[in-house]
Amino acid sequence: MRARDLAEPFPVVHLDTPALDASRLLVERSLPGLVVVDREGLPLVILPGSQVLRFALPEYVEEDRTLAAVYSEKDADALCESLRGRTVAELMPSSQFLPKKSSARPIVDPDANLMEVAAAMAEQHSPVVAVVDNGEILGVITVHRLLGAALPR
Amino acid sequence: MTGLAAAARVAGEATTGSEHSASTVVVALAIAVFVGTYVFIATEWVHRVAAALFGAALMVVIGATDAEAAFFSEETGVDWQVIFLLLGMMIIVGVVKQTGVFEYLAIWAAKKARGRPYTVLAMLCTITAVASALLDNVTTVLLVAPVTLLVCDRIGVRPEGFLIAEVMASNIGGTATLIGDPPNIIIASRADLSFNDFLVNLAPFVVVAFAVFLVLARWLFRRSFTYDPERARAVMEMDERRAIRDPALLRRSLVVLGLVMLGFVLHSALHLEPSIIALLGAGLLVVVSRTPTAEYLDEVEWPTLVFFMGLFVMVGALVNVGVIGALGEAAIQAVGDDYFRAATGLLFGSAVLSGIVDNIPYVASMAPLVSDLVEAGGGAAGADALWWALALGADLGGNATAVGASANVVVIGIAARNGYPISFWQFTRYGLIVTAVTVALAWPYLYLRFYAFG
Repeated sequence: MRARDLAEPFPVVHLDTPALDASRLLVERSLPGLVVVDREGLPLVILPGSQVLRFALPEYVEEDRTLAAVYSEKDADALCESLRGRTVAELMPSSQFLPKKSSARPIVDPDANLMEVAAAMAEQHSPVVAVVDNGEILGVITVHRLLGAALPR
Repeated sequence: MTGLAAAARVAGEATTGSEHSASTVVVALAIAVFVGTYVFIATEWVHRVAAALFGAALMVVIGATDAEAAFFSEETGVDWQVIFLLLGMMIIVGVVKQTGVFEYLAIWAAKKARGRPYTVLAMLCTITAVASALLDNVTTVLLVAPVTLLVCDRIGVRPEGFLIAEVMASNIGGTATLIGDPPNIIIASRADLSFNDFLVNLAPFVVVAFAVFLVLARWLFRRSFTYDPERARAVMEMDERRAIRDPALLRRSLVVLGLVMLGFVLHSALHLEPSIIALLGAGLLVVVSRTPTAEYLDEVEWPTLVFFMGLFVMVGALVNVGVIGALGEAAIQAVGDDYFRAATGLLFGSAVLSGIVDNIPYVASMAPLVSDLVEAGGGAAGADALWWALALGADLGGNATAVGASANVVVIGIAARNGYPISFWQFTRYGLIVTAVTVALAWPYLYLRFYAFG
């Protein structure tokens, strides 16, 4: 089996997509992560659901986890308010973590075998990889889809 | 550099005070290595640890020092009292910080202040200053900065002024005790001064200087104090008790920390060095808290310890070849018996230099020189007080610029990560004022306390 056989349609988000819209997409479609594309429409990075959640957290809570406990229940419920008015670009990991070489992008070749797809996911800590042919997204492969095809029956 | 060149000549001619007489070439090379390393440390062209280690290695290569002098001599080698005192305190901090006591105190204070910005700032600064007197400054600000960002976020004020004020409170508070600021640890070991000596001679001044600082902060950071009663209510809803996850750990940590402080105070009765007390405390705390090894060792700043070792070897080499002795000789000639003039020069000179270079290498290099001066004084009170002039200048001078003390750099880093970049000049604008005021206060204090009635 090849990557092209597993690729399925998947919504992508752009750098200027509002963060709240992107997060809602994640919830409403039960996606494992968001595929963020650059200006050329090529997948730049995958934001797994847990990563999206991290961006709702203030940086100081990440630096000192103890602080998470002192919020009142009401204020803690308002956790995602911080996403309001921000774009996907602002939720991205700082530029030093972004892939510099194209080989580090969450992309596989249509002809990649399942071992290559699995290796790409494992290396990127990503639940999703995109199948790209000549600068065009054919679809994506989720970890579910990969395992469903690869697990012994 | 002409002064150093002259010293090289003097030292080359008469190395009577040192262990073995060094040739003029070795002396000149040692000075070159020292100055070169200092330039690298000050400009950060290479990491300061790498610079200090490389400088130390070069000192060995040129024959200015050897293993015997570097590792086993109190005069010319690594000051293990300093290293192990730092190590012990770092381990203690590694356990204490897990208790959540700082988060608890800070939120408790913000609620007591009912979210009024200046009162919050004053209370947070007081907590920081007291904690800095007992613990390392960098650790204190690392603990207090995130909770400050939270509190500022809740009351809806910009946090830059709060963070800058806290780091200054930390540098001022750390001046008060032997363990409060690394320069004090070096001075204590070199001068054989006790914990109580620092408490008696520096703490009273620090209390006054801190009070003045709080008044000054009201004006300096006035733009940060917009009060919104609606937002202040959000502060009251926070629950500080939830910050304490393990009350038993907190009790044990506070008891051990109390015992360590008691041990420092009872130094003369116990005859235990501060380093030993810190290590005993660290050992006890590790046992009673059952913290995993990896966790408490994670808090130990190995780069800092290695930096100290490299510095000690380098400065020790200068002592070894007689450069420090020659400079000391020159300083003794220049001072004569006018110790107040020397203290004045030391106070203001140290404040200026500590603002420009890290105050740790500065004090490590100055300590042997001041030691010569104090010894020449033969126990005169005015001569002994030179140590306090050095400590006050170096500690308070750390506030002057954004790079004056490690805590400044750390807080600016945290602020930037949280989306509040503080530029070098934004910090330094406040730093110069606070340093000028506190050092200007220190001068009459030194005069009245040690010279006016001598």
